[in-house]
Amino acid sequence: MPRLPTFAPDCHILLDGEPVPARRGEPVAAALLAAGKPLVSRSAKYHRPRGAFCLAGACGTCLVRADGLPNQRACRTPCRDGLAIDTQNAVPGARHDLLGVIDVVYARGLDHHHLMTWSRLANRATVAISRRLAGLGRLPDPAAVAAERAAGPVDEERFDALVVGAGPAGLAAAERLAEAGLRALLVDHEPRLGGRLRCRLDLPGEPDLDFAARAAARVTAAGGEVLLGTAVLGLWRDGGSPLAALHGDGPPPRLRLVRAARLLICTGGTPQPPAIADGDRPGVYGGRGLAAGLAEHGVVPGSRAAVLGAGPEADAVAARLASGGMEIERVRDPGGVRVLGRGRVKGLAVPGTGRVRCDTVAVATPPAPAAELARELGAPVVWDPALAAFALEVSPDGETGVPGLFAAGEVTGEMDGAVAADAGRRAGEKARG
Amino acid sequence: MGKAFVCTCDDVTVEEVRRAFEAGHRDLESVKRFTGFGTGPCQGKSCLALVARELLRLGASPREVMPFTVRPPIRPTPLGALAALDPAGLPLDDGVPLEPPPPAPGGPAPDRPPLPARADVVIVGGGIMGLSLAWELARRGTTDVLVLEQGYLNAGASGRNGGGVRAQWTTPTMIRLARRSLELCDRFAVEMGINVWFRRGGYLFLAPTREQVARIERNAELHVKEGLRTRILSPAQALDVVPELDASRFLAASHNPDDGVVFPWPFLWGYASRAEELGVKVRTFTKVTGFETRGQEVAAVLTDRGRVACGLVVNACGAWSKEVAALAGVAMPNRPTRHEILVTEPLKPWLGPLVSVLGNGLYFSQSQRGEIVGGMGDPAEPEGLVQGSTLRFLARFARAATDCVPVLAGVKVVRQWAGCYDVTPDNNPILGPARYANFHQLHGFVGHGFMMAPAMAELYAAWLSGGPKHELFDAFAVDRFSRGPVQKEDFIIG
Repeated sequence: MPRLPTFAPDCHILLDGEPVPARRGEPVAAALLAAGKPLVSRSAKYHRPRGAFCLAGACGTCLVRADGLPNQRACRTPCRDGLAIDTQNAVPGARHDLLGVIDVVYARGLDHHHLMTWSRLANRATVAISRRLAGLGRLPDPAAVAAERAAGPVDEERFDALVVGAGPAGLAAAERLAEAGLRALLVDHEPRLGGRLRCRLDLPGEPDLDFAARAAARVTAAGGEVLLGTAVLGLWRDGGSPLAALHGDGPPPRLRLVRAARLLICTGGTPQPPAIADGDRPGVYGGRGLAAGLAEHGVVPGSRAAVLGAGPEADAVAARLASGGMEIERVRDPGGVRVLGRGRVKGLAVPGTGRVRCDTVAVATPPAPAAELARELGAPVVWDPALAAFALEVSPDGETGVPGLFAAGEVTGEMDGAVAADAGRRAGEKARG
Repeated sequence: MGKAFVCTCDDVTVEEVRRAFEAGHRDLESVKRFTGFGTGPCQGKSCLALVARELLRLGASPREVMPFTVRPPIRPTPLGALAALDPAGLPLDDGVPLEPPPPAPGGPAPDRPPLPARADVVIVGGGIMGLSLAWELARRGTTDVLVLEQGYLNAGASGRNGGGVRAQWTTPTMIRLARRSLELCDRFAVEMGINVWFRRGGYLFLAPTREQVARIERNAELHVKEGLRTRILSPAQALDVVPELDASRFLAASHNPDDGVVFPWPFLWGYASRAEELGVKVRTFTKVTGFETRGQEVAAVLTDRGRVACGLVVNACGAWSKEVAALAGVAMPNRPTRHEILVTEPLKPWLGPLVSVLGNGLYFSQSQRGEIVGGMGDPAEPEGLVQGSTLRFLARFARAATDCVPVLAGVKVVRQWAGCYDVTPDNNPILGPARYANFHQLHGFVGHGFMMAPAMAELYAAWLSGGPKHELFDAFAVDRFSRGPVQKEDFIIG
């Protein structure tokens, strides 16, 4: 059962010319997972089979050629009938790539610094060959690039506050700002509101999606704006308050320049791939991405999932996938685990347990705080040993130490959705001044 | 066995991180450069924490494991979208990222080897100039050499440049020097035992005005006289070299197929490790804080890690050279000036030469990994030792690059950064002793030090080792600026 029955496909996309059923507007990655075709490219160096991992627009493993544009994220590219998706970096195609031999020949890894440095002739040949092999996608089709051009001129817009991230913390913060009559711009790179709430994990105390809709309505009612499918590219300083550049997915893509007196960074976390042996195989996904795909597009990525990780969120991911009809295996400690299978996950070799059969691995270990925007303006991070990641250091009211810059939620290392929403509220109140 | 990856964008394994650590790369900036993790389309979002975790497990101290500098834009962005921005409306400020406050004391200091009490030669600056000189001195028998670097190797302009190496200069001296560098680049991988991915893809200069055409024609005549294969091409002929160019944007082009590009970082590791094998000491994260002088000599170099008595000092600090010379009370006319640069997503090979547009300062080439690496000087850029990135640069580059090659509108920028050109009044270097007989200067290369260094270091080491003194050392001594008018090198790009 590749899809929940209420999510019937209504169009076809073309994967290397072959039709794949899809639903209009859903991400290409959702259609491919539902069709049991997770493999979309070969990796940069070893030409290993690769498919989507994070399903959240963060990692770089699902890049495809879409309608003549290279290196497009399959998890961010919306489906429409006839959309041409081509696999990348493979000869002749990602399923059977002759260059996959590199992975076998260099089974113990390839030391590019010292490759063929013993002979000038061999070295020259190596430079020439490696250039031929390098790169992922081919140059865009000239006719396709018009779709990437944003319309100008781009005038600077002013808001009382810019809230980046429409998860529990960002929603709560934006709601508090709107309640005080402030014009807030609430922006999220995902096409839907809710951040981690989109996974419908229903963790204790976590707000539901109605809360997201209510908060967004408040923002709009106070003269603010909610922008989805829009990434904040950066915060560039400029004398007074920093200038943010926003890039809307489109079509057509739109660039906006926003200056806001208050900045609230509620960007959550980035799913972290498991650094386990063969953990890069197609079929290994971020647990949240799978849960969101199931909730929003009815995608059931296989018949048997191994959920990697421990704690309430891993339990909830397992329960969600089980509710979609998947059989579930739990592997609480990823240490020493090896993924079996090549073009597609076939199981896990777990120390002490032995072989676990599965066609899907859901990685439900904590994400790493997405602190990039705050770090651009000098906000300090600290290593959080429990998370095994760097988290923004903030006061209980979300102050980062940089004037006008606040942060709340997972970006500060707070992994509980209910607590994150509380932190967002406090940061919103503090930012009201 | 299977491979375990910390970075799936560039296929960096856990094992490679271990190898980097064993080779002495303990901080995240160095490991990033040595392994390539964090430089792919995910821009470090999926790998930074994994690598940090691995380094801590291997025994790095928490103080060493600070996240690498964040580089905008934080999502890959098509140049066609950025070209919608009007650069005129965007500020030219010090840029981002801002420095975070220094970490609280607590973690143990990195275990670094101690400084010697004395060295025959102390080279201040562990960039390409300092390290190539150290190697050239050592192989001529001067092995009691200490190189001091304030950051990690590649922290300065040597690790921030576009890797272009060209012989198309405007004076016989510079042409010969650059041609020698090209030869040395070609041999580097085998002689120094580390790949630098030298590729002779040529340099293609585009001349958009009649004045520029006259200039490249004049230069080409000299090039041919000097034995280069430089040719002046019509726009139609230039399309044979790069079919994606907009031929309506230039009147003629100058092409030398023997110029090339390299991958800059391994040059420093190669020079440093070979020099160390011969006894040279390279000390990173060591800042020079002053000099002790006695009469006509510099007697010792003072650092934040102690004092080192010296026989001879070389100031090879690039854009920091003026500051360092000032520590000895020596005034230098250098004007450090920021220069911004960016890199795109990796594409299959399509661009042979480094393309540069005369007049607007745009240049770009395709790296060995397939990325477009390009920069563009900003005439409004003031003097200053700043290395932040601006949105204004993204807008300027996007407009100029998509005008030059329209299909670049569909190519996405993944990272921008900046380095400092070490600008001198006549765009020529400053060499030889200044004020003190043993206080040597090796700086002022105006954004072209990387390509000049291999040949320059040979000449300098030969002279310091008792060999012949090249005419350059008299021509480019610092006192030329007080002797009268100087002739300005005008073929500076970027």
